Amino acid sequence: MTAIVGVLGAGVTGQAVGRTLRHRGIRTAWFDTDGAAARRAASRLGGVVLASIDDLGATDAVVVATPAPHRPGVATLLAEGCHVVSLGDDLDDVPGLCDLGAVAEAADRCVVVGAGMSPGLSGLLARFLADQLAVVDEIHVAMHGTGGPACARQHHRALGSRAVGWHDGEWFDRPGGSGRELVWFPEPIGPADCYRGALPEPLLLQRAFPDADRISARVSARRRDRLTARLPLLAPPHREGDRGAIRVEVRGAAADGARVTQVAGAVGRTGDIAGTVGALFAEVCADGRLAPGLTVAGADSVPTAWLLAAAADAGVMLQEYTGIARVAHT
Amino acid sequence: MRLLRRALLALSIASVIAGALRLRGNGGVPPQEGGWRELRVPDS
Repeated sequence: MTAIVGVLGAGVTGQAVGRTLRHRGIRTAWFDTDGAAARRAASRLGGVVLASIDDLGATDAVVVATPAPHRPGVATLLAEGCHVVSLGDDLDDVPGLCDLGAVAEAADRCVVVGAGMSPGLSGLLARFLADQLAVVDEIHVAMHGTGGPACARQHHRALGSRAVGWHDGEWFDRPGGSGRELVWFPEPIGPADCYRGALPEPLLLQRAFPDADRISARVSARRRDRLTARLPLLAPPHREGDRGAIRVEVRGAAADGARVTQVAGAVGRTGDIAGTVGALFAEVCADGRLAPGLTVAGADSVPTAWLLAAAADAGVMLQEYTGIARVAHT
Repeated sequence: MRLLRRALLALSIASVIAGALRLRGNGGVPPQEGGWRELRVPDS
């Protein structure tokens, strides 16, 4: 009998989760506080609609694709005996989610934290690139685009809040919206100015790559976004999200000691990419391919090659940069 | 009153300077070589 995966949140990203699960032949159970949204998702993508959030406890794994915070819901689902995959990218929420690793391990369950596009696919690509190097010194991630409206609001908050990064073995924080860097994303996105923001990526990548000296994450923004980051969101976000991209740069040394920079990325609708990665993580949880406890994308224990191949099979356009990666600082 | 006007003037000037600093810059230089291509992931 195939696993049943619950999807908590039937928004743009949640529906992408359901689409991938259907593609993989996995049964789906939906719950959303907006019952009509869950029914629409089930009618489009198949699966059953649950009357109560407590019913998710009957599924094998649950993908949490709701706005932050995720920690309370994830703790409840772990207590009910589910594997849980969180697509959360809220810097205030993620440390608490990581703390649930011990709870999950005691319950013989998996909790995957940061299983979207960034964090998520970014960690998988970082591991893929790192495996080609003898030594990993630096990991730099940049992302462009947002999933659904909740993701856009999170992006806006991130630009207006303190950012964290890992630099020469120490954590630092800087104002969101600082540290502009021009980043070339895979086509058709192309170049975009990226800035520091309250992104949990460095926290999670540092767990996966404890020997890396420097880890940073940036998010693209227009100058207007940056200027108004500390104000309420002035324009309503796009209901269906938009096209996004990710770029992961890993610097280190090859086996012969030569300095090497490897760059990979992905492009597509942001919500689709995030949902695909979340769904695939749920599948490996339900199949028992992840060890109990906390898992972050990029960790050694994660079946990275399988996840990337499955993501590509599900339609995620993975790219690699050839030639010399040059980033212009301004 | 005079003090208030001076304070408002100082705040206005500071806002203009802060805005200019925040928006400054002229972009960057594009990569001079290389390009993106499909990533082939070996089957595990």
